[in-house]
Amino acid sequence: MINFYQFIPEIFILALILLTLCFGLFNKDRSIAINTLGFFLLTLILINFGKDFYISTDISLNTINLFVLSKIILSIGSIVFILLSKRPLKNENLYRYEYILFILFAILGSFVLISSDNFLTAFIGLELQSLSLYLMAAFNTKNLKSNEAGIKYFSLGALSSGFLLFGISMIYYDTGTFYMQNLNNFTTISEIGLSLILISLFFKVSAAPFHIWTPDVYEGSPTISTLFFASLPKFASLIFLFRVYQELNISGIQSLNYIFQIVCAISLLVGVYGAITQKVIKRLLAFSSINHIGFMLLGIMSYQFMSEGTLFFYLIIYLITTFGIFAVLLNLRTVEGEFTKISQLNGLRFTSNSKSISMLVFFFSLAGIPPFAGFFAKFFILSASITDGFFFLSIVAVLSSVIAAFYYLTIIKNMFFNKSEIELLVDNNKIGKVIFISFGLIITLFFFYPDPLINLVDNLFK
Amino acid sequence: MSFPILSLLILTPIIGALTLSLSSSSQLKNKTIFLSGLWITTGEFLLSLLLPIFYDKTKSGYQFTEYHTWFDKFDINYYVGVDGVSIPLILLTTFLVPICLLCSLNSIQNRAKEFVIYFLLLESFIIGVFVSIDLVIFYVFFEAVLIPMFLIIGIWGGENRLYATFKFFLYTLAGSVLMLLAIIYIISKVKSGNIELISNFTFDQQIELILFLCFFASFAVKVPMFPFHTWLPDAHVQAPTSGSVILAGVLLKLGAYGFIRLSLPFFEYASIYFQPMIFALSCVAIVYTSIVALRQLDMKKMIAYSSVAHMGFVTIGIFTLTQDGINGAYFQMISHGIVSAALFLIVGVVYERHHTRMISDYSGVTNVMPKYSFFFMIFMLSSVGLPGTSGFVGEFLVIMSTISVSVYLTFFTAIGVILGASYMLLLYKNINFGDLKTDIKQLADLSNIEIFYFSCLAFLTMLLGIYPKLLFEMINKSISMSIL
Repeated sequence: MINFYQFIPEIFILALILLTLCFGLFNKDRSIAINTLGFFLLTLILINFGKDFYISTDISLNTINLFVLSKIILSIGSIVFILLSKRPLKNENLYRYEYILFILFAILGSFVLISSDNFLTAFIGLELQSLSLYLMAAFNTKNLKSNEAGIKYFSLGALSSGFLLFGISMIYYDTGTFYMQNLNNFTTISEIGLSLILISLFFKVSAAPFHIWTPDVYEGSPTISTLFFASLPKFASLIFLFRVYQELNISGIQSLNYIFQIVCAISLLVGVYGAITQKVIKRLLAFSSINHIGFMLLGIMSYQFMSEGTLFFYLIIYLITTFGIFAVLLNLRTVEGEFTKISQLNGLRFTSNSKSISMLVFFFSLAGIPPFAGFFAKFFILSASITDGFFFLSIVAVLSSVIAAFYYLTIIKNMFFNKSEIELLVDNNKIGKVIFISFGLIITLFFFYPDPLINLVDNLFK
Repeated sequence: MSFPILSLLILTPIIGALTLSLSSSSQLKNKTIFLSGLWITTGEFLLSLLLPIFYDKTKSGYQFTEYHTWFDKFDINYYVGVDGVSIPLILLTTFLVPICLLCSLNSIQNRAKEFVIYFLLLESFIIGVFVSIDLVIFYVFFEAVLIPMFLIIGIWGGENRLYATFKFFLYTLAGSVLMLLAIIYIISKVKSGNIELISNFTFDQQIELILFLCFFASFAVKVPMFPFHTWLPDAHVQAPTSGSVILAGVLLKLGAYGFIRLSLPFFEYASIYFQPMIFALSCVAIVYTSIVALRQLDMKKMIAYSSVAHMGFVTIGIFTLTQDGINGAYFQMISHGIVSAALFLIVGVVYERHHTRMISDYSGVTNVMPKYSFFFMIFMLSSVGLPGTSGFVGEFLVIMSTISVSVYLTFFTAIGVILGASYMLLLYKNINFGDLKTDIKQLADLSNIEIFYFSCLAFLTMLLGIYPKLLFEMINKSISMSIL
């Protein structure tokens, strides 16, 4: 007997989609208001009743908590994103209500993906999410690069979906089931199938060596879409990857374990290696995100020595930092259009105090230098991985973060030491400003007092 | 004592910096900003004077301790306290920072507010390193020091400042991340970051060697020891005078402090095992950098290389693992902190007037700046190690303690003293004596402010040289604890 309560969050988003479809035709501004309100409501519902939805299902309590927590984070992230998206879309003449719909569909896909037990459902969630992302990448139809990004993303994404389907079918051939919890004994065929599934997931979270699409897509897409790719869907895919790792007990399978470790090491190194020479800030952020994915994979692998609080601490801090950086970038414009080159940041210190100091906080936090929350985020992961015995990977991780410090410092150098060359049009978007200033403060505060966040998550899992 | 004096010491500059940053810069004049910075740092200095007054010298162990839980799960605690080893260094810091602000009163014209803010933050982070007795907060402060220093060199430095500041930052970071891994490993083994608890813990010998090397990587870069010293001349040459003062005066001491506070008590076996390596590196540092210093054309670079040589004495002294050796090394640290800071100020004085650091551009300065030459002589002689100045006591004790280890070691250290005398005297001669160059004639002698801070520094040098017991009383007990 299927318990329909567990679909309430998804049904809620579906209702929002329908509502937006009706209202959006007549009034775009209202659809933003409705969705902000809707996600706010959803967050409240999830916080208060989230666990009750799953009570009569046979899902284990830990997994339920994982569902609820990641859905809360996703819906809070959506609120921030929707609030942030209005002004940049207007600036680029892209302010159409379809964009909000794509966000909603992508979030719906992420929700389905997170809570799917069945590989086929996961496939549907992933596709729903990805198709919206392709459209968001190509949303600036008049821009050649945006079209290129959309097509690149679509063709490579379709290839990876093919891998996923092939992997699922191999597992089905071998075991006759689509359900994750029914998979126990692995033969070679299902190991191959599972590795194909992993490859597809690595592609989605852009772990090296499956990262080739990332820099191009990040660069070509409208900046606001880039923010979306970098944050929420990636978070959802990562949670699913985490679930696959946990429930299929991949740490017990030697071959897949090797794949995980190799991908982790390559991501750490390729990320920093690629980022050093970049001149376009979105490409740099793309490579830096690959490096951070390496850290997250390390966290997933040594999960048994972490509490949920500390694993989520990294993810949440990473999300906040990404949102903050992009909020600053979206608030800057040049005469030609969107802000792109790192050298355009020159002398930002003299143009805007709040922006340059927030950027300083975010980049030092990404580099993992105290006194910012990014330090403890890395600290927890490293402490778990060392306890787990991943000495080699830990050394690679810290050395990569030294190299990473170089390019983060270059950006800070441009902002603080150099004289400005071109005139930046500072776009005084109030919402954006509130977001990056408050996120900068949060990043600093969580360093000094991270207990509330960690305990909040941990108590949820008790 | 329940009064939270150490937290107050850490927080006062931060609060000062916050207040300054909230005030609108357009209305404030540079002078007002510097004066407020001076008030804060002087207050901080007076506050830190309470430490030696109320410190109980007869007891060993940490005093004025404060304990607050920071993380429940990880046993990371805000645990601070001081003992004899940390108090003199804290005093040195709080003493040097007002002088740094005083000396940049005229030279820093643009972005004065930021300058003062970064210095205040730097001060509180450095004090944080010296008072922490928990490994994690030690590391946090140790790393955080980099940020203000990076900005100070990068914004107000010389023409090649970007290269220098990047080199400084990345070198130090590369060293300290290895220490971070070691710290994490230690915490996962001991289940606590408390320094006292870890000192009582014995590691496997093989692992202890690796852990020692990880800590060594970080501290050796900071000290700096021979193969890792190349960032120092660059950083010094490019930094503004005040930056050089704080860098030579205090930041270099962080590494040596780390050796005394962490490496020796944690890794007794490894300290003995790696003794020859450290002696070899230090001997090379002393002889090689002294010879390099002899051939320098740039004053700041010469003093920077002399710093490396002097810190070589410190590392030798520490790793003799005797009470005398460590006492001498510690004395040398404090003395070098005062003297090299003063020497960088001396360079800063003429640089501010003549805008060149090349030794060949100066000659016969004593004719126009007699007071300047007088103070220069005091600090030069102290750096050489003349009896009666603070430089002598440290060098003497270190050399004496090396005899018990190896005569060859004594030989090389003594050569260092001779070489040190030759390059410092050469520097003094070239600048102060000789024909008076025409473009030097209009140089003004020291102003009252400059005389004020030079006399403070000179007084301290003489005081420590004549009555070294003042310092030894303070540190004896604590140092004997760390070499058990």
